[in-house]
Amino acid sequence: MGYLNNSTITVDAILTKKGRELLARGRDEFKITQFALADDEVDYDLYNPEHPLGTAYYGAAIENMPVVEALADETQMLKYKLVTLPKGTARIPVVRVAQSTIELNANESTTITPSTVNFGGGNRRFGYTAILSDSDVADIVATRGARNSAASVPQFIGDSEAAQSITVSGTQFEITAKELLNADKQVTILFIGNETGGRASVTLTVKKVEVATVGQSQA
Amino acid sequence: MAIYRRAISRRGPVAFRRSNPVSATSQVESLARQLADQIIREREQAKARQRLGRIFTSFDATDDVLPNNIETVTRGLFAGNTGSLTTMFTSSNLTATQKTYFQEIFSTGDPASNNNANAELSMAYGHFNGSGSKDLTGNLNNDTPTRAIYKQYAQLLLAPNDKKFTINGTDTNEIYVLNFNRARIREKLDPGNFELTLAQLSGSAVGGINADSVPNNAHTGSNVKVSGTGKYIQIIDDSSLTSGGSVSEGGLVYNLVSGSIDEGTAIHNATSPVYYGLLYPQHGVAILNGEQLNKDISTGGVNFNSVTASAVQGANAVKLFTSLNASDALTDAGSNGGIQARSSEQVKSTYYFVRVKNAEYNYSNNPSFVTGSLGELYFNTFTNDPQVYITTVGLYNQRRELLATAKLSQPLLKNYTREALIKVKLDF
Repeated sequence: MGYLNNSTITVDAILTKKGRELLARGRDEFKITQFALADDEVDYDLYNPEHPLGTAYYGAAIENMPVVEALADETQMLKYKLVTLPKGTARIPVVRVAQSTIELNANESTTITPSTVNFGGGNRRFGYTAILSDSDVADIVATRGARNSAASVPQFIGDSEAAQSITVSGTQFEITAKELLNADKQVTILFIGNETGGRASVTLTVKKVEVATVGQSQA
Repeated sequence: MAIYRRAISRRGPVAFRRSNPVSATSQVESLARQLADQIIREREQAKARQRLGRIFTSFDATDDVLPNNIETVTRGLFAGNTGSLTTMFTSSNLTATQKTYFQEIFSTGDPASNNNANAELSMAYGHFNGSGSKDLTGNLNNDTPTRAIYKQYAQLLLAPNDKKFTINGTDTNEIYVLNFNRARIREKLDPGNFELTLAQLSGSAVGGINADSVPNNAHTGSNVKVSGTGKYIQIIDDSSLTSGGSVSEGGLVYNLVSGSIDEGTAIHNATSPVYYGLLYPQHGVAILNGEQLNKDISTGGVNFNSVTASAVQGANAVKLFTSLNASDALTDAGSNGGIQARSSEQVKSTYYFVRVKNAEYNYSNNPSFVTGSLGELYFNTFTNDPQVYITTVGLYNQRRELLATAKLSQPLLKNYTREALIKVKLDF
């Protein structure tokens, strides 16, 4: 007679920076209502359907892998979320944007409307979270909203740049370039599906303002 | 509601016209059952549809969230979760004036020469009339450190009109104080897991003077040695007695009596133990009756012979240090000397039960789960039998802001034949 395997897993959670901030504001602000699951550190290339020992060992390399500790930085956690899809799905919903690179001059604007393929109506209800990594280079606003619009990822990249990042939520976004006097600058805009997960990025280049000098015009 | 009306108008009236009253009733019941089944079926289908293409699942506030669970967590009191402090060091970093009031006790080493030294507690001696220390300001015995110490702890721990510590019904003029660092006690000392082992003192460490021949005013802290093997006392709190413990102005308070926790809590001569002092767990303070410690071991003391002369720096606190520090070497094998203690803390937790059904969360947005830019699954077999691994649980608010995260110790396989229940504990 063997022992039964207890199937309940107990794990300790840590508060993220956002969680601590809301808790400090009061318990009413800190209200957990939903969960998501992720497999951030799993590389499915380790899954081996040709393992000589059979099916029980296909995922052995992944299952035996130790998992790293949780971080308090919410921008670095749950990047790749698990998603519920109909059985028989052959393609994962993919977040798409029309252009992967954009070049703008000072004060020029462009509109980006992310879409989701492989899943009808995907992200139409809750939209997308857009993160512009450097607010010195451009501005981003949601021109079409979504339900419960919120910045699900309030900061981005490192501490020095985090204060300059902009996060908005919606279904359509307008990006306006700022005036750069010293040099061209390149930033990344990340779009994350609020329902299906998935992400797409756009590289934005803003050209510096060209100012003609007095000496050149006289010549 | 719309479904119900549609069904009645289409089928109900016709059925009524062709039936007698008895069969009409059964037909109505049958129709109602069919309609109810249909409504349930449609709701379940809608629910299933809603789940699809989703990364978030809402908690059921009643079934999935267990808030405000209070759990008492105890730990070893000293650095590194150690329950015993048997080797102690005083600090050379204290100024001469500070040393007339208290001694700061470290584990590992003197902080002046050891970077890894950990502050554990402070020891002090107090006298109601200020004896055993020298007036530092030149006044006549009014501003002595020992008087300040006695008044300070009386003010903190006793009722406003009570000026003296009362041990087993008798007021005492002399107290020895052990004040444990706040970071060590967390919320309070753990009653029932507190033991002091004090070695008997004798003579002089200098010149081998016999204890009896050392005048009281020369029996200072730096001028004592321990008596030797077998001459020690052990002191515990009386929380194991039903009559033990009371709530006073200083919060919970227990008597400190003769006894040991080395082989289970045992008060020596429980009906009439020797009373040594008081333990205030919430303050992290133990008050020892100096008058009792001054006695010989045959009458339950350890021959502290505290310096009570006036205008003399007795350094009595050092005696307490010497006695505690030396006691481990005198105890029987298997028993600990010094100080044994635990901290106690109440932790409030909320449990979130993450229930993952078989049909949920079987696909991943992980870039290695797909191949190419069209989102095609990396393995063809995943189309009908996807295999994903859960490593992280994220807890979100309604605005989808990530408030807490938890990691599993190992990746957890999830597919259409597996369900998972993950209990996430969040401490506040």
